[in-house]
Amino acid sequence: MRLNIYLTGVGGQGLVTFARVLGDAAIRAGYKALVAETHGLSQRGGSVDVHVRIGDVDAPLIPRGGADVVVAFEILEAFRAVDYANEGTVFIVNRRLIRPPAIKQRIPSINELEDLLRKGIKRTYIVDAYNEATKLGNIIYENTVILGALYSILRLSQYIPQGIIEESIKMNLRRDIDKNLRAFTIGLRYGDSK
Amino acid sequence: MNNCVVRLMLGNHAIAHGAMEAGIAVAAGYPGTPSSEIIEYLLDNGREFGVYAEWSSNEKVAFEVAYGAALTGARSMVTMKHVGLNVAMDPLMSSAYTGVRGGFVIVTADDPGMWSSQNEQDNRWVGLHAYIPVFEPYDPQNAKDLVKLALEFSERHEHPVMMRTVTRVSHVRGPVTVCSPEKPRYSEGYVKEPRRHALVPANARVLKNELLRRWSTIERDIEDAPHVYIDGNKNLIITSGVAFTYALEAVKNYGVKASILNVVTPVPPPRKIITDAVTRADKVIVIEEGDPVLEQQLKALLYDENIRVPIMGKMENLFNRVGELTINSVMDGLSKALDITKPLASISTVKVDYSPPQRPPVFCPGCPHAASFYELKVSTARSSAKPVFSGDIGCYSLGINNPFNEQDLLTNMGSSLGLGMGIYHGTNGKTLVIPIIGDSTFFHTGLPALVNAVYNKTPMLILILDNRVTAMTGGQPNPTSMISIENMAKAVGVDYVRTIDPFDMRKAQDAITEAMNVVKGGGVAVVIMRRGCALEATRLNRGYVARYYVDTNACRACGICYNLIACPAIMPLENRKAWIDPNMCVGCSVCAQVCPYNAIKPEGNVKEWLRKWAEV
Repeated sequence: MRLNIYLTGVGGQGLVTFARVLGDAAIRAGYKALVAETHGLSQRGGSVDVHVRIGDVDAPLIPRGGADVVVAFEILEAFRAVDYANEGTVFIVNRRLIRPPAIKQRIPSINELEDLLRKGIKRTYIVDAYNEATKLGNIIYENTVILGALYSILRLSQYIPQGIIEESIKMNLRRDIDKNLRAFTIGLRYGDSK
Repeated sequence: MNNCVVRLMLGNHAIAHGAMEAGIAVAAGYPGTPSSEIIEYLLDNGREFGVYAEWSSNEKVAFEVAYGAALTGARSMVTMKHVGLNVAMDPLMSSAYTGVRGGFVIVTADDPGMWSSQNEQDNRWVGLHAYIPVFEPYDPQNAKDLVKLALEFSERHEHPVMMRTVTRVSHVRGPVTVCSPEKPRYSEGYVKEPRRHALVPANARVLKNELLRRWSTIERDIEDAPHVYIDGNKNLIITSGVAFTYALEAVKNYGVKASILNVVTPVPPPRKIITDAVTRADKVIVIEEGDPVLEQQLKALLYDENIRVPIMGKMENLFNRVGELTINSVMDGLSKALDITKPLASISTVKVDYSPPQRPPVFCPGCPHAASFYELKVSTARSSAKPVFSGDIGCYSLGINNPFNEQDLLTNMGSSLGLGMGIYHGTNGKTLVIPIIGDSTFFHTGLPALVNAVYNKTPMLILILDNRVTAMTGGQPNPTSMISIENMAKAVGVDYVRTIDPFDMRKAQDAITEAMNVVKGGGVAVVIMRRGCALEATRLNRGYVARYYVDTNACRACGICYNLIACPAIMPLENRKAWIDPNMCVGCSVCAQVCPYNAIKPEGNVKEWLRKWAEV
């Protein structure tokens, strides 16, 4: 088994924590996992990516065209990730637009961006994590909603039992566990829709 | 070996933990990506076991702290990023001459690809230059294993050992077997050995001969390190470090037929192991991260051994010489060398009909640096000055971007003052120079340059952006928390010293203008812009943040707030009026101060919040 999960977003969105929950769960389930992160100057509000590789892997980076799934925490960043995608790649995209500051050009609306993405990527799932998290009382639950969506859309339960990923959420997030588990459950619904 | 568990662990944490399992006693470092998490881990987890760890004021000092401890017989380690090793070169060269008593590991974390660095120097060269062996790990578990080996190897030979890690080892998390730490091995007492430890020329001449003798022993002993040979066919891939993992994937997943030899020590290369493997091959491909360090030595070695076999690697441009290796670049090179079709070329790629605007890193919402750069821009423009902004290394390097453009040159830690003086004298005193430097960088190497500016009477306006922490590498503490920069500048004899709050925009602009007049009159001026890092302030006061919002009736869509401060929390709406994202605003008040229409209003007790923030 080899699973290449390419995470992309904006520095500060919590990709590193997300990847740690995922990688830790994989190891608890008995798989090898490698998580390659971006730190330092490159993390301040700029584009960031994290490579998560699970199973029979040795090298830390996903090859171009080699992602099984792209998880975009912000919709503009999903477009930048296409180099890592192939025809079968699943895109899981947070319905959230973060405008790069001090940009003169017009940026399409979030609906237009969704259409543009769906035209090129057959297997696109839009996750309304930002709004779901706001309903739970804080946008900090956004990523756990996305994690639930990833878990159900990719049918990860065949490798990582739900109890184990929930354990990983508890151990790695530490705060507001109940709300995070609820956010995870909300995310799980996205796997049922298609 | 009891009490061992497998955990997902960051490469740098694995290095730190490995050192603890090997009884590390003293560790010192200066923060720098991708090295910082090693000392952080030891500060968080080592103290309870009796490990002494510190953030030093720069890499040279850190090196000397760890080196001195090793001279007493304690097991010690120093950590830094690749360019940090340049700062520590002076004691490093000497350490090979004196040798050490306790195990001493020098960790250099190189940054191929320059994710967060000004160059991508390969510090394995330093090992060759200094006669110091270099151990190179390929993943987090291997990094933990090698740091233990390196400490033991160093102690056995009474010689320093370098460990060269890279971004894709240090900042990769992987499964690591974690065991209980050993009791720190401190020394019972320093034994005086001036003939060995005092490098006056008479001693050094003797010690150089001893060094060369030690080096031969090291070359022999290195043969027994856990080099890996995987038998395949007569194509031989020789790797060191993370390149090994790409070679493994090439053979396992992409149809490459070859044997693989991974060497633990690119410097010195294990002569016998390599000769044995090469004798069985009729083609050799060298893959390594960085420069062709191993390849060059290999070619010399095989010439001596009179073995003629084609050797290909970075010297033949088989693999990229700029940037880091990827599976793609490794497969491109291997396909060319072995004449096979590129397996990755058959992947059906996808296309989308839109390319988003670039998203470079920016100042965080509420960053005091953004305020300082805005004030500097306004003050210099008002007095029609055309200064040269001499930049430096830190978060404030981002002042290079629009709308500020206030980092005209920046080359290395502390260079803002030194290069600034050169620009002043090179233009025969015709240039108004404004060096801009952060608190940690000022203590690191800015201080001797400030002394020089006063001593050699070189007028400059030195702006010290004091945000109370070493922010870019994750908010490590530094001497500014205990030592007053203002008092130091006064003690040095600077003509004009002011400390101001960049969130008090009028006063800040007045001070900069006043300081420029001092410089025009031939004086040296220091203006300290003092306000804690926004990330630290919000982290320390979680949940307690006042905010600002835009009164849409009062906003006249002038764009000053979102165009000139470029705060990521402020966005233009379709009608060009401003909107502040309440989830991002941290209540710094700067936009409210620049708004000419008083359209940006506070929400919550802003005064109280800014007072709390000032305590950082």
